[in-house]
Amino acid sequence: MRQLYLLAALCAAFISGASAQSPTDALMMPKGVICILGQYTHSSWDEYWEGTNKRSNLNIGTYTNQNVMLMANYGITDKLNVLAGLPYIWTDSDSYFEGESGAQDFSAWLKYQALALESGFGTFKVQATGGVSIPVRDYVPDFLPFSIGIQSKTASLRAILNYTTKMGLYATVQAGHTWRSNTTLDRDSYLYNGQWYETDEVPVPNMIDATGRLGYINSKLQAEVFLDYFTGTDGDDIRYNDMPFPTNKMQATTAGVFAKYFIWKGLALHGSFGQVLSGRNVGQGTMYSGGVTYFFNLTKSE
Amino acid sequence: MKHIHSAILLVSGFSLLALFTRCNKDIETPTYDAYPETSLDANAGTWKTYVVANGSAFAVPAPEDASSTAYQAELADLKAKMAAATAEQQNLARHWGANGVLRWHAIAREMAAQYNVPPNYNPDGTYPSPDPMNPTSYPRFPFANPPYASRAFALLAVAQYDALVTAWHHKFQYNRLAPYKNDATIRPLIPENDLPSYPSEDAVVAAASRELLKFLFPGEVAKINALAEEHKNSRLWAGANVQSDLDAGDSLGRIIATQVINYAKTDRMGMANNQAGFANQRADATARGITTQWHSLDIPVRAPMLPAYGNVKTWNLDQATLISLRPQAPPQPGTPDFETAINELRNMAKNRTREQFRIASYWADGVGSYTPPGHWNRKAAEYIHEKQLNEIRTARVMALMNTAIQDAGIACWDVKFYYLLPRPTEVDPNVTTCTGIPNFPAYTSGHSTFSAAAAEVLAYLFPDKAAEVQAMAKEAAESRIYGCIHYRFDSEIGLTHGKQIGAYGVLRGQSDGSQ
Repeated sequence: MRQLYLLAALCAAFISGASAQSPTDALMMPKGVICILGQYTHSSWDEYWEGTNKRSNLNIGTYTNQNVMLMANYGITDKLNVLAGLPYIWTDSDSYFEGESGAQDFSAWLKYQALALESGFGTFKVQATGGVSIPVRDYVPDFLPFSIGIQSKTASLRAILNYTTKMGLYATVQAGHTWRSNTTLDRDSYLYNGQWYETDEVPVPNMIDATGRLGYINSKLQAEVFLDYFTGTDGDDIRYNDMPFPTNKMQATTAGVFAKYFIWKGLALHGSFGQVLSGRNVGQGTMYSGGVTYFFNLTKSE
Repeated sequence: MKHIHSAILLVSGFSLLALFTRCNKDIETPTYDAYPETSLDANAGTWKTYVVANGSAFAVPAPEDASSTAYQAELADLKAKMAAATAEQQNLARHWGANGVLRWHAIAREMAAQYNVPPNYNPDGTYPSPDPMNPTSYPRFPFANPPYASRAFALLAVAQYDALVTAWHHKFQYNRLAPYKNDATIRPLIPENDLPSYPSEDAVVAAASRELLKFLFPGEVAKINALAEEHKNSRLWAGANVQSDLDAGDSLGRIIATQVINYAKTDRMGMANNQAGFANQRADATARGITTQWHSLDIPVRAPMLPAYGNVKTWNLDQATLISLRPQAPPQPGTPDFETAINELRNMAKNRTREQFRIASYWADGVGSYTPPGHWNRKAAEYIHEKQLNEIRTARVMALMNTAIQDAGIACWDVKFYYLLPRPTEVDPNVTTCTGIPNFPAYTSGHSTFSAAAAEVLAYLFPDKAAEVQAMAKEAAESRIYGCIHYRFDSEIGLTHGKQIGAYGVLRGQSDGSQ
């Protein structure tokens, strides 16, 4: 079902490992430093949850979603970062349905470090991020799971707690709420919650998500395991043997691993793997991604 | 200082977010207000009916005189009910007062959408069939696909129309005034009119619609009964009918509905899913030299949708005429004309514009929708509200259009299973689509045929909308080419064919006595 949100959330989950790149992790760029990320993600499934009922669908076969994400994270101050990102997405399946592709939604976030308590043993940080996203193109919102997105504008708020020991062991938990605007379809009638609406405006459920990470980080290497969860705050289920729809209440729990290694100065390679363990109105996706990050000081020459 | 700066930035950012989150997520749909009667149509009791012989075929007992104790007691009871009506009941009075015929059609469209899902396959690769004797267990009965929905809308419209013609006959036979004309202290919640109130046109429509919808959607009996009660009671809360107006209307609506249901039981729909006969249809086509034949693209292979629907009884033309109008054979795969048509689709699959995609989606009206006939019903309803037609003229529009749409669907299904032309994707899997491939042969396009017939009738009924509806039908037809599920000739010949079928609906409208 090519949950757009699933994709976005998984992106975020992966990127979060990518140090100082994500609105959901605890790493921040120092003042004047910018980090650029390029990342490829491949996700596929051949089973999905129709409501809570897991099934396959021979008329879709295996569904594939690929994307390339470009992101930047800049340190306005040591305690305030700005982040921006834009994915380019391809969808495909074994069916006669045509896959879609294109740039999707531009996102920007502010990230603020509210607290950093250092002791002899480690450092405790509290951060908050707020972000918005907006579709950059008039892509088709109503051809799920092949649509690359659902044309909803979003705003999100989240809190991040992190503890990192002097030895480099860390634990991070984050939780966020994403408000999503109603979307407008090409057609002007649809079923939502069993009721028939004769308008092109469709309600899109808000989302809540949370992630926990355990890992190790030093100046060359970072490795972590993570568990990610998201859910719609309301919405309906995919009707039996029908296609997914922007009103669906999506849920997923994903477990994964992430690793990053610096190969030269600010240049690092990273990779991750994730598996959806349980869900509702989403595909049981298996994801892997790989990418490169590079950071440098914008205000000083090297 | 810096910290304060950052904090301010953050706070303003979060205030923006707060603003954003106050955005209203409620969905607004069009609402319609009650309007005054624009005409009485005092002779509508003589208009030509569809199923019953005429408007005077069924008697209605004479009402009590306005001066009678019984009627005066009814007026007192009405006033008491009006006074006791809650705000919600008053809103329902206005809701149903804004054209009850169309309210029931909106309910039918919603049910069609709710029931428009093909059954999923069993683990052994077979498909279960909806069972009318067991309508609420999976797969629910009916599967309201476009042929089923078009027939449902036509039967509902015919029952409402025949019931209202009969009601009009008795209204002007007895000429009982509306309660607010008999008692000036009654101030109705909806606009007053001069229409005789016995039998109640709303009760007639409620009862006829209730009986038809229970027949068509037998899993929804409780909901339908409750809606009909609400509709009838709304007339008391509104101050528009006394109880005996409603009781007489309910009896009459029920009687007419029974006649229409008896018609429906013998319209050959029961044989429309004759899968055994499909083998004969294949053999007949082969005998006529059609060797490249349609196959289901569903996995696992699904039996075709209603292969004998082309044999169902038509409304406005007879079967011999229907067959005489059958278009000639389509270009066969391998011929130059066919190659030209499929090349257009190979190109479309690769180079579809966003606008073409929009049109394909707008007109798709596929699984989980009210189907193309529902799309046209909604359009007709908009015109009826705009022109503020009274109940009987509303019923006439819906009956003329929906019988023409069903006739067009029957004619189209006859063509589809006569020529058995494969879908473009079956001929060339590189023709990928942006909409679902329907599980029946390509030629001719159902959307095109339905839409041309609907547009032909609407152009006759609303001459100022003629250009608009014809452009819409053309766009609906082209949407299937943009979706890559139809050859251009499917759509073009479907349009011509549908227009011819629709013309028989216009002929009927021109001679039904309503002029």
